[in-house]
Amino acid sequence: MVQIRNAAAAYRSLNGLICVYKPSCVSVRHVQHIIVTNLCRDLNALPDRPLEKRVEIVGPTNAPMQVKLLPNYADDPRVCGPRYIDKDFRCSWASHLGLFSSGVLLLGINDGTNLTYLLNTARPTRAFKVHGQLGKATDTYFWNGRTMERATFGHVTRAKVDRVVAHMQAAHQKTMYELSGLHMDSQTTYDLASEGLLRPANSKLPVIYGIKCVHFEPPNFTLEIQSVNEYEKYLWSLVHDLGVQLKTVAHCTGVQCIRLGKFGLDLSLLRKHWQMEHILHNMDQCQQIIEQNENLIKPKSAHLTV
Amino acid sequence: MNLSYTIRRYFLISVKSNIRFVTNSVNLLDVRGKIPENPVNTLKDVSDITPYFPESFNLSAYINTSQSLQNLVHLNVNLSKIEKKPHIVNKILKLDLVNDIQKHILFLKDYIHVDNIGPFITKNPLILCEAIEDLEVRVNYLQSKHFNQDDIKRILSRNPFWLMFSTLRIDKRLGFFQQKFSLSGNEIRQLATKQPKIITYNLHHVNTNSFVIKEEMGFDDNEIKFLILDKPKLWMLNQKSLLQRFNYLHNVMKIQHSTILRHSNVLLYRNFLIKQRHMFLEKLGRAQYNPNKENYVPITALYEDTDVEFCRNYGKCHVDDFNIFLKTL
Repeated sequence: MVQIRNAAAAYRSLNGLICVYKPSCVSVRHVQHIIVTNLCRDLNALPDRPLEKRVEIVGPTNAPMQVKLLPNYADDPRVCGPRYIDKDFRCSWASHLGLFSSGVLLLGINDGTNLTYLLNTARPTRAFKVHGQLGKATDTYFWNGRTMERATFGHVTRAKVDRVVAHMQAAHQKTMYELSGLHMDSQTTYDLASEGLLRPANSKLPVIYGIKCVHFEPPNFTLEIQSVNEYEKYLWSLVHDLGVQLKTVAHCTGVQCIRLGKFGLDLSLLRKHWQMEHILHNMDQCQQIIEQNENLIKPKSAHLTV
Repeated sequence: MNLSYTIRRYFLISVKSNIRFVTNSVNLLDVRGKIPENPVNTLKDVSDITPYFPESFNLSAYINTSQSLQNLVHLNVNLSKIEKKPHIVNKILKLDLVNDIQKHILFLKDYIHVDNIGPFITKNPLILCEAIEDLEVRVNYLQSKHFNQDDIKRILSRNPFWLMFSTLRIDKRLGFFQQKFSLSGNEIRQLATKQPKIITYNLHHVNTNSFVIKEEMGFDDNEIKFLILDKPKLWMLNQKSLLQRFNYLHNVMKIQHSTILRHSNVLLYRNFLIKQRHMFLEKLGRAQYNPNKENYVPITALYEDTDVEFCRNYGKCHVDDFNIFLKTL
């Protein structure tokens, strides 16, 4: 790990992406706020530069005047405020996670904000674990909503879930071609499609590339979803639709992002590790991943990069 | 530089305004470029003429010329925190160094440790604007209520705002707590010494928290009396988060009122800290909080010590396993 000498050097090295683990019920803005204030706290605790001196010329002007070198009080952190404040940091997210979602969140700090923009326009896939429960439907499609309907789920089996889920995945293939921005009848589209999956051209509509049921223990089940452009509410409604297609009802009990592009859970920083040392270390790791995978930032073709 | 003149000027300045003064640099250069024609002029002493003090939005613009502000910095007062409230700054700047500030500090020195005077004034700079006689009356009031000298020292240093309250208000507030929680004379003195901030706290907030603790949590009067003497901080917490913590402990973890009462510290920790350790123990099958059965885990394990020690003593695993678990929540 890099040895931190002083606050100024540490501040200069704080440019880049970090990968944090966002807990549920903490908004992304709050995560940003916590990280930036923690960074300020840690920077202000580091050894500071020596205080500036001030030259003062005193004495009567018609006689030889004295030149004095005095301490400059205006430079004292007790007078002009702490050296680093929240406003010194720019912070942006690569892709948003809703309030109730948890999981991998990429944040750009200072010059890293540029990287988050590029990463967002490259549209990497995100993998989610979506937990659901059969037998109850709520008005928000999430566990915190009001119960709207109850139904039996004894007839639901693993095979039935798999069938419905496979059908949902197939239905999204067509959206994928429509959102790729290519003409459906052209040779180019055929060539690209024969090689693999396509990225959407804009961020308007969610595209799902894969859904799989990874855990089934009625009434609870877990889906693993790979998608682009999705949002919290969309994943909730997906669980609701699944319930309806299984001839019962269902609601979502949790959404967890387990991967964003090449950034996985093992890289993400837990809330107790949101301190400067760990953040600097994490920044190095993220930088390595970006250098190893140029496609992550600047994709060359319309194919799905990760 | 004539100090008294500058200070007088300086007191008149309002810090509220953030208009910056821009000098006409072209004119200045013209004057400097010329050689003075009349040598008599140079012999005149002009050191008492000071440059114009522009209005500023912070105190660091004035500090190098103001002795009183420098003295405050030497006392370790954080001026950058005071200047966030311009109406307070306007009052502080009009104070006289010898008459006001020195007297107050000499008065405070008797009750507050020398190292804490700076932070004390940072928290409550308006104490310098109160009349010394009033402050003496307020301290005398405490003495008349049989607080001993150590208690008074503790009260004043733990709650910088105590001396801002008139004896009438303090008396009313002490009466309120005594009546509300039916405390005896010694108990109210114990409460005021233990957590002086609660006496000057927002009473509406105290009332709502009492409602939360009595009606929503269901503690009875004796238990409440025990709680306020043991953990007065509970009455200063956000009632929503307080209820959320209790709800998780009592309804999810099934912990009895008596156990919570015995380890009332558990209510002072944020919900997610308790929650993640409990869920981990539950996953391991070790969440057993009943002392009469085997594999007993004390409730203090949920908040005390670091995660490393928690995993070693109660989880019987490595802290990495705990971290991996946290990434599945």
